Amino acid sequence: MNKIKTVAPADGCGEC
Amino acid sequence: MVHVFQYKERYYIFDTGSSSLHECDEKAALLLRKKLGEDVDISSVSEAERREYEEDFAQLEKDGLLFKEETKVYPAKSDEVKALCLHICHDCNLRCKYCFADEGAYHSAREFMSLETAKRAIDFLIENSGNRKILETDFFGGEPLMNFDVVKQTVYYAKERAAAKGKKFLFTLTTNGLLLKDDIAQFLNEEMENVVLSLDGRKEVHDAVRKTANGKGSFDLVIDNIKNFVKIRGDKHYYVRGTFTKKNTDFAKDVLFIADNGFDSISMEPVVTDIEDLAITKEELPAIFKEYDALCDEYLKRYAEGKGFHFFHFNVDLEGGPCLAKRVSACGAGNEYFSVVPNGDIYPCHQFAGDPAFKMGSVYEGKLDEKIRKQFKESCLFTRKKCDGCFAKFICSGGCSANNYHFNGDINDPYEITCAMMRKRTENAMHILAEKKRLSQNEER
Repeated sequence: MNKIKTVAPADGCGEC
Repeated sequence: MVHVFQYKERYYIFDTGSSSLHECDEKAALLLRKKLGEDVDISSVSEAERREYEEDFAQLEKDGLLFKEETKVYPAKSDEVKALCLHICHDCNLRCKYCFADEGAYHSAREFMSLETAKRAIDFLIENSGNRKILETDFFGGEPLMNFDVVKQTVYYAKERAAAKGKKFLFTLTTNGLLLKDDIAQFLNEEMENVVLSLDGRKEVHDAVRKTANGKGSFDLVIDNIKNFVKIRGDKHYYVRGTFTKKNTDFAKDVLFIADNGFDSISMEPVVTDIEDLAITKEELPAIFKEYDALCDEYLKRYAEGKGFHFFHFNVDLEGGPCLAKRVSACGAGNEYFSVVPNGDIYPCHQFAGDPAFKMGSVYEGKLDEKIRKQFKESCLFTRKKCDGCFAKFICSGGCSANNYHFNGDINDPYEITCAMMRKRTENAMHILAEKKRLSQNEER
């Protein structure tokens, strides 16, 4: 796993 | 689905099912594109390299970060109303050529909202907000500051009513800046959570479309007001918001002009109009894409130099952004967000205002046309079939219902021109995300 690097979700409530 | 794209010498993989972004080299990108069925030449990749890449792909897949199955769960939407756009004034002291609000009048008589109607709108929002604690109200027009006293009294009324109900209002206001001075500026700075200041960029660009009633350019009339307001704003939210048209597809120059004038929170929007000499067509797209790239490069250059600015459409948060349920729910217009015009009539959003086919009721009646509401409530990413094969669908959630309707006659039929620009901006935003991380890692070393 050195050729592909993960750049970036964190682990429906409607509060947004 | 998996989207492989290149930005200059960088190669990226975006997995829509997991919303994960990966960076890879050219050979990995080639192999993955081949795997996705594209006709590409992979003879430059040796057998040993191929095995290594395949192991990487398999590990990512095992970790749920590549080829992850996309959700097909329809969102459960609440009936709670979150926000109202109050058309506090259907009149304007400018005559901008591209105004979707028909120079403020929304294809009807020029009219100011009364305080009584504004209060009824606030009551409507509070009564229909369920258990929600935070409510949002945007003062819009026309030019809302032409009816400033009603803005002020409405804010006081809303705060008092909300406090009694254990709720809180967040206010925003959009202005062309002509009346933004003295007591008005002071009040907005104190009471508004966000203020949107209309400025199209370079003086000649701004003046070509944003004219006064007697046909003169308005740049010199607003620039000092806007600068002075931002000066007192401190670290509170504002946006200097411009519009670009077919006539200034070199809009990166306008964004940078705005940044060079000391504004660090900027949004620059493609025009929404059917006026032929201003409307953006597919012929302009190559120039616009090139311009987004130029803006992206300069944005990153300034960021690296510590002189960065915030550009609304380059802000995509894949880590802490909205959850999946939100991402598939579409924009919320007509269900959790409504606009109220001066006589109290309710529409799904500001871009539907004045269209009799979309009148949903009145704040004086207090109830909504359930047939229209159902249409918007049931609309979501999965009812927008054109979005199925698009990598940006969980970012844009199916685009603007009003644009879809006005250009294609159906709120569920996305408008291809805005889709193309959205995809381009999303790739730029992902590249920016990766570059910012790279820069911060370099600083840590």
